[in-house]
Amino acid sequence: MASAIKALHNKLKNKEISCVALVKEKLDQLKASDYNTANYILDEYALNLAQKVDQKIANGKTIGLLEGIPFGVKDVYLLQGTYSTASSDLLRKYKSPYTATAIQKLLDAGAIPLVKENCDSFGHGSSNENTVFGAAKNALDKTKVAGGSSGGSAVNVAKNFTTFSIGGDTGGSIRQPAGYNNVYGLKPTYGKISRYGLMAYASSTDCVGPIAQSLEDTQIVLNIMSGSDYRDQTSFDSAPVSNESLEKALPKGTKIGYYKNFIESDALNSAIKADFKAMLNKLEAEGMEIIPLDFFDSSILVSTYYALAMAETASNLARLDGTNYGVRTTGKDLKEGYSITRSENFTAETKRRIVGGNQVLSQGHSEEIYNKAQQLRQQISHHFDEDFKKVDVVLSPVTPNPVPQIGNNLKDPMTMYLSDAYTVGFSLGGLPTLTAPLAMETGVQITAAKKQEAILFTCANFLKQVL
Amino acid sequence: MGKEMTLDVLSSIKGAEASQVVDDLFEVIKKGHVSDNLTTNHTDLNAVNIENLRPDEVIKSSELERNLIIENFPNEKNGFLVVPKVIEE
Repeated sequence: MASAIKALHNKLKNKEISCVALVKEKLDQLKASDYNTANYILDEYALNLAQKVDQKIANGKTIGLLEGIPFGVKDVYLLQGTYSTASSDLLRKYKSPYTATAIQKLLDAGAIPLVKENCDSFGHGSSNENTVFGAAKNALDKTKVAGGSSGGSAVNVAKNFTTFSIGGDTGGSIRQPAGYNNVYGLKPTYGKISRYGLMAYASSTDCVGPIAQSLEDTQIVLNIMSGSDYRDQTSFDSAPVSNESLEKALPKGTKIGYYKNFIESDALNSAIKADFKAMLNKLEAEGMEIIPLDFFDSSILVSTYYALAMAETASNLARLDGTNYGVRTTGKDLKEGYSITRSENFTAETKRRIVGGNQVLSQGHSEEIYNKAQQLRQQISHHFDEDFKKVDVVLSPVTPNPVPQIGNNLKDPMTMYLSDAYTVGFSLGGLPTLTAPLAMETGVQITAAKKQEAILFTCANFLKQVL
Repeated sequence: MGKEMTLDVLSSIKGAEASQVVDDLFEVIKKGHVSDNLTTNHTDLNAVNIENLRPDEVIKSSELERNLIIENFPNEKNGFLVVPKVIEE
């Protein structure tokens, strides 16, 4: 699919459509939708900005590529003056005091936010069922889950309610819903985009990233949002991904790795396994060098990720006690007030992760679980360093199984955690990883060494042409 | 001091206790093998080096931001922000 951003830009520039009409059409679609993708629709906010774009065009001024382009924002990003709920009761009426850096960069480029999008509460989920706004429904089959945690964002893009959306990925939360809804989703290298204004889940793996219908749009949005930020000291400056990266051919002999244990696992769905192997055969026939690699057992990856993510979320969400913002329920004393507020306003899954996090951080457990998980993470990271001396990219399925039906994930948390088996490892490594809606039912995941986003685009473009 | 804190106190969540599914995840970590020759490369960590911290300075927020922070405060009475009563133990 060609760039929807460029197509809309040309229509606006040539006065084939007005920005107000474009924005109104999308707002109407969101309001009429029963996919549960919108926590809050930003009617007035969006139409006000659209009028300014129309005025600028009417005055004969040049508009930038993103000016007037409607987009969606996962409801974990702050946008000054609008509600930011993290799909929770605790923050249901919390108004953003400031705007997240990544979103501000899009606003500065003239893009228009339409909607705060449904997601798993505080990013805690893989299906977008852990939300107080009702489960988001899959764009291709309403009986199935949207994926998570950025489910509302992926569905909005797939249904064309937004031209692109901004998701957040801690352990797969952009890549998995992108795969479930047949769109592109990118988790950049950790630190490439500032996290300032993103509600923290697990700060050491949280990433901001775009979801779009085309590689071109993914690239445009990535380049706009990237760069170092005074307010996020883990962010860094980087060269933009060039247009050439999208257009050039993947050289013959490119070394494409895959993890043997991912593919040989009995837990991998047989159709996904067959499709993955067929893809490798095709790539080999096209002159690529296919290199099998050894890797950690999926259970180690999932457990390491969840031990660390739970520890970090227990710390990050400790601030939510009803003292300064959010819902407050008073008790007989301060401590009881905290306890009632948190017990009544966090979902069961969020509470499970907070409690698990405090468990691993507590005396007696931290040494044998938390500290060991940190060591395992270093080992995983080191393993990636060695792997990317041997290969240019690693391909893997996005998920071990097809898209599940709505209603099963929260009943069986372990199944939900294991559904992240193929995404969490790359998060622990801080690597750039792109889901492309190709080859398998839930897409293919393309991963490169840190800061090597460009080859993801070259590889995805090649896959798009040959598969 | 020395008093063991239970999970419901640590988490400020009523009735909080360990869950089997989370314990199962942690068991995998306990049994996991950590390489003996693991060398720590601090560039691998997603953290800021203490040598590179930004200056510790106060940046005044805008009036709009301050007003929104006040608007978010959970309880206000007669122009004052009401805080929970603190009982010292």
